Amino acid sequence: MPLSFLDDFRRGDHVRALMNRLEKSAAALERPVRIMEVCGTHTMAISRHGIRQALPPNLKLISGPGCPVCVTANSDIDTFIEMALLPGVIATTFGDMLRVPGTRMGLAEARGRGARVQIVYSTLDALRLARENPESKIIFFGIGFETTAPTIAAAIAEASSSGLDNFLVLSAHKTVPRALTALCSTPELAVDAFLCPGHVTAMIGPHAYDAVVADYGLPCVIAGFEPADILQSLIMLCGQLAVGRAEVALQYTRGVRPDGNPTAMALLHQVFSPCDAEWRGLGVIPGSGLAIRDEFAAHDAARHFQVDAGYSHEPRGCLCGAILTGLKTPGECGLFGKACTPDHPVGPCMVSSEGTCAAYYLYETNDVL
Amino acid sequence: MCLAIPAKIVSIDNQRATVEVGGLTREASVVLLPDAGLGDYVLMHAGFAISLVDEDEALETIRLFEQLAGGSFLGEGPSETGLDGLSPGGTGLDGLSPAE
Ligand code: SF4
Repeated sequence: MPLSFLDDFRRGDHVRALMNRLEKSAAALERPVRIMEVCGTHTMAISRHGIRQALPPNLKLISGPGCPVCVTANSDIDTFIEMALLPGVIATTFGDMLRVPGTRMGLAEARGRGARVQIVYSTLDALRLARENPESKIIFFGIGFETTAPTIAAAIAEASSSGLDNFLVLSAHKTVPRALTALCSTPELAVDAFLCPGHVTAMIGPHAYDAVVADYGLPCVIAGFEPADILQSLIMLCGQLAVGRAEVALQYTRGVRPDGNPTAMALLHQVFSPCDAEWRGLGVIPGSGLAIRDEFAAHDAARHFQVDAGYSHEPRGCLCGAILTGLKTPGECGLFGKACTPDHPVGPCMVSSEGTCAAYYLYETNDVL
Repeated sequence: MCLAIPAKIVSIDNQRATVEVGGLTREASVVLLPDAGLGDYVLMHAGFAISLVDEDEALETIRLFEQLAGGSFLGEGPSETGLDGLSPGGTGLDGLSPAE
């Protein structure tokens, strides 16, 4: 199978036919409908392909809390930066985090002050650094949802079994279904349905959203990332809304199995246990974080280094918190496109390649400025 | 950051594999996807294979788009959803089910 079949998910005639169908489905609803795209990769795809502007007038797509870098609380970022500044430490992180401003400084500035900060593409690279630098402590900043957390769990398990004691992780992972139920309890948000993340669900499986459907009656469709995937998913959501039904449905059938990835989830649960976690914008959500279990305490940076990062707060004037919860859009931020641009980001939503402000700035500026 | 891209496994040795993406090869771990084998297409995320790409499902979805684009798609009546029990019957899908 050549991967050229992917082109079929972008083909103009397919996209147009789906858009026509979506217009009919949306018109049949005869009321305004708000659908939240939970995942930052969806936000980027929707902005890049101009889907948000092309939607039927009564259909609104609201960007949600699905950018892992963006939802990481400043308190966690500040803690990691304090750790990076310690002697004998090599701080490793995924690329986007480097330019996120913390309360007092970002990682890039910490680097300017002598911290050793290395960007890695994978925890496998961080493990390699740990092997090559036995005299240093390698601290990996564990951020990300259930797509990423199993890859960090795999690294911790490997470090543990091979006695690589200088590999440590600061775990600031978050779990998606908990955030959705927390959002459902925010009355101001008033969303009618969720476009659910394809790759998180490849891990957790579609049934992870059963509570959203059962407790809040909101339709959930798990979507792929190509334009045709997104449009088909919106049609499926309109179909559920039309008959007043809420269920979990799967559009991204080529990437997601009905039981998710049980191997990855078993490893995640072997290494991590649920804990309360602070999200930027959403505050503390009980049980939405992942703490390193006692068996792997030797690899837990939070236990190993007692640092005091002081008082953490949000950048002045930045609305990221409200944007991450769908209550505001980037255009409502006075700094957007003025003091805050991808070259000079004030908040994380403008830094990350999946951040809502960055997506709007790059692709939707005409609409919001 | 939850980006995952399709890649082909071109060699595999225990839990380490080499995958090909757009003509480039890269190292990958298949520890999260022990069923993956030589020649499989997988979704890669942060150096790990996380899911198999199901070709039949992909083609099924494309066939549906083609019907819709070609105007031969009726799509009104109830349909099977092909969701393995996730969705108990076609009404929620406006006739646009990924599998028939
Ligand atoms: S535009 Fe900049 S300052 Fe405003 S909310 Fe977005 S990231 Fe924050």
